[in-house]
Amino acid sequence: MEEREKRFILSSFSGYYRRASIAVPSVEQREFGIGGFERKIESRHMGFESDASLQNYLVRDTPLYISHSIAYYRFPKATPMENKGWMGGDLVFDLDVHGGLFLSAEEQGKVRQDALRLVEDFLMSDFGVRREHIRIVFSGNRGYHVHVLDPSYRMLSGEARREISDYVSGKGLNYETFFNKDEKWKLYGPKEDDWGYRGRFFRTAMKLLEESPSRIHRRLLKPEEAAILREGMRTGLWSKTSIPDIVERMKPVADMLPVQCIEVDTGVTIDTKRLIRVPGTLHGSTGLVAQEMRSLGDFEPYRDAVVFGGDPVRIEALQPLPAQEFLDSTMEKMEKGERREAPLSYAVYLILKGAARLS
Amino acid sequence: MELPFPSKYPFTSEAKRAVEESSLELNDEVMERAVQRVMAAVRGEPGAAYRIHPSDEMLELGSYVAARMMLSSLRNRFLINKFAIAEAKRASWLMGKESGENLKKLGDELGVVPGDFEGRLALPVPAYASFSPRSVDYRLIFRNVKGGFVEVTRHEVIRLMEEAVKARMEDLKPLPNPPKIVRDYAKKLMALVPKEAEMKMSFGEGDNPPCIERLLEQVREHQNLNHQARLVLATYLLAKNVPIVKVQSMFSNLPDYEDRVTKYQLEHISRRGYSVPSCATMLSYGLCVADCRIGSPLRWRNWKKGKKGSS
Repeated sequence: MEEREKRFILSSFSGYYRRASIAVPSVEQREFGIGGFERKIESRHMGFESDASLQNYLVRDTPLYISHSIAYYRFPKATPMENKGWMGGDLVFDLDVHGGLFLSAEEQGKVRQDALRLVEDFLMSDFGVRREHIRIVFSGNRGYHVHVLDPSYRMLSGEARREISDYVSGKGLNYETFFNKDEKWKLYGPKEDDWGYRGRFFRTAMKLLEESPSRIHRRLLKPEEAAILREGMRTGLWSKTSIPDIVERMKPVADMLPVQCIEVDTGVTIDTKRLIRVPGTLHGSTGLVAQEMRSLGDFEPYRDAVVFGGDPVRIEALQPLPAQEFLDSTMEKMEKGERREAPLSYAVYLILKGAARLS
Repeated sequence: MELPFPSKYPFTSEAKRAVEESSLELNDEVMERAVQRVMAAVRGEPGAAYRIHPSDEMLELGSYVAARMMLSSLRNRFLINKFAIAEAKRASWLMGKESGENLKKLGDELGVVPGDFEGRLALPVPAYASFSPRSVDYRLIFRNVKGGFVEVTRHEVIRLMEEAVKARMEDLKPLPNPPKIVRDYAKKLMALVPKEAEMKMSFGEGDNPPCIERLLEQVREHQNLNHQARLVLATYLLAKNVPIVKVQSMFSNLPDYEDRVTKYQLEHISRRGYSVPSCATMLSYGLCVADCRIGSPLRWRNWKKGKKGSS
C-alpha cells in the first residue's frame, strides 16, 4: 500500500474514533496491543486508565488494529508477562469462516447461526451463563467473538478452557463411550432424562427412529419392534431390543451429532493471555467495526458494521471485483484497472484488502 | 478416637490457623518427621504418613509445614510432585470416611462444592473443568451437563477434591531465604532424587507431533500421566524403536513410577505389538493438542517433510 492510501485510511479511522464511544469492561486492568500495516500486533504491554484515555489515544495516535487482553491484570503494562499479576480472564470463543474477498450470504448465515447456537445451546443451556454476561461481537472481518464475562468462569486454566472448547466443538466425541454393558450383558446407553451430548444423542436417535427407522435397521419398520426399542431407550436399557448390534446400528445418529457442534478456534479459547479485538474499534483489514450486538437476528456485516458512509471516492481496481451488496445497495462489478467512484466505506474496505487503490 | 480436622487436612486454612496460634518451633524432631514424610511420599508408602495420634497433632502439622518449606526451597519438581500425590491420596483416603459436614467444609475450602440440580448431585462446570482428572471417564464431553452443572457421584466429588488438594500441593511459592535448619534437612531430601530421572532424548526438537511433545514435557516435569497418556507414549516410543530400557528410564521421571510394574507393562506392550492410538482416539482421550489432522501421531515426520517440500 502506498503512503497516500495509508494516510487516507488512518485519517478516516481517526475521524471515526472522534465520534465513536468505546467502552471496555475493567479497562484499567487490561493489557492492550496495537498493530499497523505490517503486523496485527506490533506493540503490546500498553494500558489505559479509563475509557476516555483509550479513546483519546485512538483519536490522536490511531492504530490500524487495537486489541485488549481477555485477562485482567494487576499491572497490565508490566513486562515480562509473569510480572503482570494475572487475575483471571474472560472465556472467549472465536468463530471464523474462510472465504474470498467477500463472505457469501451462505457463509455469513452459517457463522451467524453457529454464534447463535454457541450462545443459546451451549453457553446458556449447558453452561448456565446468563445472557447479560455474554458479549457477542462481530470480529470486524470474517466471524464473531463471543466473550463470557461471568466471574465464575474467570479463573479457569488453559486446560480447563480446552475441556470447554472441546465440548462445544465436539472434539473427541465418540458415541460408543455412551454405552456400557454390565456383567449380565445388559446394555445401558443414553436415556430420556440425560443432559449434554448424551441427551442430544437420545433425542436425535428418537427422531431418527420416528422419521426413518430403516436407517437404523429394517426390522424397526415393524411398529412393535420400534416400540420395544423406544421403551428401552427411554429408561436407558438399550438391550431391551433384540437387535444384537444396536450400538453399531446407531452410527447414523453419531454422524448427525457433529452438526450440532460449533467449530471454534481452540487456540483462542485456551489462551489465558490472548489479545482480542476491542469491541467498537475498527478492523485494519476491512475498515468494518467490531460491533457488539444485543441480538444476532439479521446482522449483516456489509450493512450493519459499515461506519464511513457513502461519500464518493475515486478508486482503481487492482483485481477483478465481483458485484457485491454493500451499504444497502449493489456495488457494480469492476475489471482490473478500471477506475470509478465508490462509496467511502466500500473504498476503505477494498484498499485494506489490497483490491483497489485511490485513483 | 476421632482425629482433629487440622491434623487430617493440614493444607486447610483451619490447619494454618492452628499452626499460627501454636508455639510451633522448627526443631530437629519436627524436621526429622518432615523428612520421613517426604521420604514416605517418594517411596510411595502412603501408610507411613497416616501415623497420626492425637498426641502427635502438632508434630504432624509441624512436619507438614516443614516439608513444604523444604520443598519450596529446593524447587525440585520430582519431590514436589511425589509429595503432592502422596498428600492428595492421603487426604482422599480420609475424605472417603468423612462425615457430610466435614466434607462440605473441605469442599468449600478447595472450591469443589457440589449442589443439587434438578434432584441430582452436581458440580458447577468451572469447578468440574478445573479439577477433573485427566481421564476419558471424566471428559466433559461425555458427561451429563446442564444449566452450568455436571452430574457427579459422591465418589467422583472426592476424586475431584483429591485433584484439588494435589493442585494446591503443587503450587509452591519460592522460599528465597529459608532458615538454616530447613536448608540442612533439605539437603537430605535431594539424595532421594533418582539420578536416572534425567531424560536424554535421542531425537531432536520438532521430530514429534505436538501431542507427544507435550507428554514428553510432562514427563520431564515429573507430572503424573494418566493410564491412556502412558500407553500412548509407550506405544509411540516403542514404534520409534526406542529401546524398552530407555523408555523405562524416561518413565522413571513419573511421580508414581514402579520399576517392576513399568518393565512388565512395557514388555507386554512390545510383545503384543500394541499400535499407537489414532488421532481420533487421541481426541477422545483428550490428549490432542493441535489440529494437525494427520490421522496418526506416527505420520508427523512424513507430514512435516511434505509440508516443508511444498512451501
